[in-house]
Formats: sequence, structure tokens, C-alpha cells
Amino acid sequence: MSDEAARLLAEIHAARALVRASAPSHGQRAATRPGHAALWAHATREPGAPVDLAVVRAIRDDSGTARRYRALLAGQAVAHAPLAVAAADGQVASRRVGAFALAILAATEDAPPLLVLTGGEARPPRLIEAMLGDETVRLGLPPPVDGAILVALDPAVPEAVRLGAMLGDPACAVFLL
Amino acid sequence: MTGGYDERCAADLANVGEGRDLSREDRAWLARVVTGAVRPNRDKPLWDLAHALAALAALTGARDGRDLVTLALDPGLARADQVETRLAGAQARGTAAVDGRGPTLRDGAEGWRTTWAGLARLLALAEFVLTAEDLAQFAAVTGWLDELAAAPDAEGAAQLGRRLARHLAAYRTAHLPLAPLERRFRAILGFLDGRRAFTDDDILDFWRAAMSGDDRPGFRTVAEHFVTFEAASSLLGGLEGLAAPASLDAAEGWEERLDASLADLAAAEPSETLAVLLAELPEGPKILTGAERDDLADLLRLEPFHRTRPLTTLRATSFGRVQSGLANRLRRGGGGAGIAERVACAEAEPYGALAERVAALSAHLDRMLRIAAALRVPADAEDLAPEVRSTLAAALADIRRVRRAGFDDPDRLAAGFAAADAALLRLAEEAGRLARAIAGLARQRPLDSAFAADRDVFARTFADAYAAEATA
Repeated sequence: MSDEAARLLAEIHAARALVRASAPSHGQRAATRPGHAALWAHATREPGAPVDLAVVRAIRDDSGTARRYRALLAGQAVAHAPLAVAAADGQVASRRVGAFALAILAATEDAPPLLVLTGGEARPPRLIEAMLGDETVRLGLPPPVDGAILVALDPAVPEAVRLGAMLGDPACAVFLL
Repeated sequence: MTGGYDERCAADLANVGEGRDLSREDRAWLARVVTGAVRPNRDKPLWDLAHALAALAALTGARDGRDLVTLALDPGLARADQVETRLAGAQARGTAAVDGRGPTLRDGAEGWRTTWAGLARLLALAEFVLTAEDLAQFAAVTGWLDELAAAPDAEGAAQLGRRLARHLAAYRTAHLPLAPLERRFRAILGFLDGRRAFTDDDILDFWRAAMSGDDRPGFRTVAEHFVTFEAASSLLGGLEGLAAPASLDAAEGWEERLDASLADLAAAEPSETLAVLLAELPEGPKILTGAERDDLADLLRLEPFHRTRPLTTLRATSFGRVQSGLANRLRRGGGGAGIAERVACAEAEPYGALAERVAALSAHLDRMLRIAAALRVPADAEDLAPEVRSTLAAALADIRRVRRAGFDDPDRLAAGFAAADAALLRLAEEAGRLARAIAGLARQRPLDSAFAADRDVFARTFADAYAAEATA
């Protein structure tokens, strides 16, 4: 009896202390750090959809917020390569993202560069997000054809051009969502 | 209050509470679930959460874990009315349905159900388990939700419930060091030997005995445990009844009663408001100096003992400071007076001096309250009784005599007082109650002799407990 009572008293003592310690600070911190819901909305946005600039700023300027954002991306990603996979310097033309192989075929005279994504047993990814330093690019992916997802990196589309350039950098983080 | 949780845990809870703008009751419920202060089964809320998510997955046609995460993190589903508005019209699907009170899930013969309010709370718990440890476990939990979304039925819920229970148990092991608290409460129960009522001297005697052990707890820390013990003592009766097999029938409905008492206990944790009030007094005019705020925080920290046990409050303030000085000195390995000098308690503030300071603080707060009223009510307001009018006029005139920063700037002063009004009222009330409690104590027993006797006891206890360090 006294063991069970002591356990319950300890739990209630800690709960009371926690209620006090976690009391709202009248939004002082909330103003500087976006909440889970805002970050999640940003992490699940459609490419090209309007973004909350305060969230974008917080991800760029606050390393804790950036870490939380990456955790939210990783949690819903079909596959991800959170940090530099290749130790090589210079540009890379292909890399692995989880179970996927990601390659960029160089442009030819009459065709733009081509992003080719193959592999993966799970559902095909719908989106790709690349993060490099302060920069983030998100692009929609078409359904796979014969097991491969092909995206023409159209020089007329700035996001596509940036994506191609970022993916060539080994330090670029990649999330397939 | 000290111990039992780490900073990470407090921050995890604060994030959920702030993001959803949870009521005090819901924050208290969530804190209880996290620490495990739920009976008869501390895993029950996780079982409920798993079933609620299964019902939600079926009712909303969630395709995968992501859809459930979106529901769990939505601050627009933080309250019962919001949850009801969103879900009351949902069509029954699979084994899930809604009725007038909330969602249901078919589960064998029994079935599972909760209310809209229950669902709103469970979603707060869902946000907690998803985001705890600053999202370190987010991917793992989302993976479990993927599996649940693929099979949103009682079986999937049971599987998720077991996983969440293990998940929270691991979280408690990492972030809630409850064992030292449990040991201390077991010692208190043994010390009181079945008694529920205790005196100021019981607290002192228990502390003295504890000081001969290795951990040398602070007097204030021990007193905090007695605050919880006193608040929870009615609950212990329920537990005892529960333990006696003969009373099983008589204990009909005890689960609800026990849970209701636990809920009251956590939500009624009172010092929060006083501590928060002090922390949030505006920075504008110097209504209270830093030293005055520290004094009030110290004196009111053992609420409700500042009203009911003025002697313990005086002991904790006077000798608690000596002891934290000792502990700090030992931690730093130097600085200020030596150990041998400190244990003699020569620096302890006499109760008479403390009583004067409390009276002065109380009078100061009353004076500030009158000024606050005068700034709020225009002196030429209609329907004022003549004596009220003259009191307000006197308070307005008094402002000029306050020699504190910010009191010479009328606009800043009015804004500062307007922001501090409610806090001032409550602090003045509590300081007044403490002053009256001390005056009552002084009528029974002169404060000077009480202090002299206590100083002997504390000095002797410190000298024994810190003997090795004092001679080192």
C-alpha cells in the first residue's frame, strides 16, 4: 500500500510541478518560434502554394526550427538523404536517396537536363524537396513510368534550374515526399 | 517545486500547451498523463488515444499517417466544440461511427467511445507523443500511424496502444526522474505512520532525520513534499479503500472518483499563478523592485502554507536561504563565508525582521493598489461616495511621493498599472494573508524565542550534516 501511495504521490508531485513549469509565457516565445502546426503546414505544402514567410524566415535563421522542420520532413518522407551523402568535392551527377537512385542527365542540344529517379519499393514520391544552406526548393513529381520518375529541368522554370544545380552539390539534403 | 522532471519535458509540454492554447485543466490532465498520475491504469489514456486515432482514421478516410498527423497537430481541433463541429456529421465507416456525444469504435462486445471533450484532450496527447523530445521520435510515431491508417480497427488500435505505452514509459525513464520523489514520499508515509494530519514540527523533524542521509535535502524541498502530501491526503484514503479487498463493492465508481480527485489536484496546483504573476509584472514603472519580487516569490512559494503554516513559511525563508547558501558554496567550492561560519546560521534572518518585511510588503502592495484604483477611476466620475472620492484623490496625490523609477511619467504609469492591476490585487491579497497568519502565530508564541529555538535546531542539524566539509 505505502509503495503504491508513494508512487502516486511522486507522480502527482511531478505533475503539479510540471503544470507550473510549463505555464504559458503569454506568447513571448511563440512569437519567435513557429508552432508545430505552422511548421507541419509548411512541410506538407504543395509546390508553388503560398508560404508563410515568418516560417520560412524562422527555418532559415533559427537552427532549432530548421532541425524541427527537417524532422517533420523526414517523418513523412518516402526516402531522404538528410545531409551530404557523397564526400566528393565538386558536382555529382548521381546519388542515392534511401532506396532510390537519383541521377541528372545532362542537357543535349534539343533537350533540357533530365532528373531520373528510380527504385524504391514503397509508394512513389509525389514531391521532392532539396535543401542547401539557406535555400529550399520544392517541386512536384509526375507518376512513374515503367518504374522511373522523369522530370525535365526546364530552363524556363527557375525552380527546376535551381533544383538541378542544388542536387549537383553533394552537401544538398534531399527529401522525397 | 523541485525535481521529478527535466527541462526537455517542461518544454515539450509547454509547446503543446501554447500551440493549442490549452485550458489549465487540459494542461493539468496532459501533465498527469505524462507523469503517470492516472489510476487505476496509467496506460489507459494511451489506449484511448490509439482507439480515438483509429476512429478518426476511419471517419475521415485518412490515407496514411500524414493525414492523422495533420489532424493531431491542428490547433483548430483543440477544443470540444471545434472537434464536434468538424466531426459530428461524419458518416459511419468500417467499425467507426459518431453519435451525439462523440466518436465510437466497435471492439468486440464492449465497444470503445469517448466524448468530444475527451477527443480534444486525446488530440493534445497525440501532439505530445508526436512532438516530444523536440520531434526526435516523430518519424517512428508517424510510421505507427501509417500502419494504423491501413487498418483502422480495434486490432490496429490495440497494437498502437501497446506501442504508445512503451513509448511513453521510455520517455518517463529518460525525462522524469521520479524515483527520488517516490523514496521521499515513502519515507514521509513511514514517518507519519498512518497519520494524515501533521504539524510544522513534523516537517522539521522529518527534515532533520533526512539530513542525516546522503542527499541532504533542502528544508524547502521537504516542505514542498508536505504541500503535495497534504493536498493529496484525501486521495490516499481512496487508495487504501481500494487495497482492502472487502470493500470492492463499496468502492463502486471509485475509478471516476479517484480520477476526478487527481484532476483537481493537478489543476489546483496553486503557486503557478503567483509565480507567473510575479514573473509577468510589467517592466514599466517600478511597482515592485527586484528584491521585493524575490522576497514575495520566496515567501509565497509554499502556497498554501503561507496562509496555513506561517511557521514553516518563516523557517523555509530564513533557514532555506542559509541552506541554499551552503549548497551553492559547496557546489562552487568556495566564495563568501566559509562552511563552518554558515552552519552556525548567524546570517539567518530573524522571524521578527521577516515579519516586519512582510508587513512592509503588504502595506506597499496596498498603497500600489490604491494608486492603481485612482489611475483607473477618474476623480470626477459620477456617483462616487465622498469618502471614496477623497481616498482616490489622496492616492493620486501620493503618486508624487513615490520615489521610484517611472512614477514621474503619467502616461507610462497609467499603462504600467493597467497591465499590472489583476496581478497586484492577487499579490496584495496573499501578502496580507501571510501577514495576518504571522501575526496570529506571534500571538501564540513570541517570534524572537521561536527563532532562537529554531536557530539552535537548524545550526545543530547543519553542523552534523556538513561536519566533514566544515572541517575540511
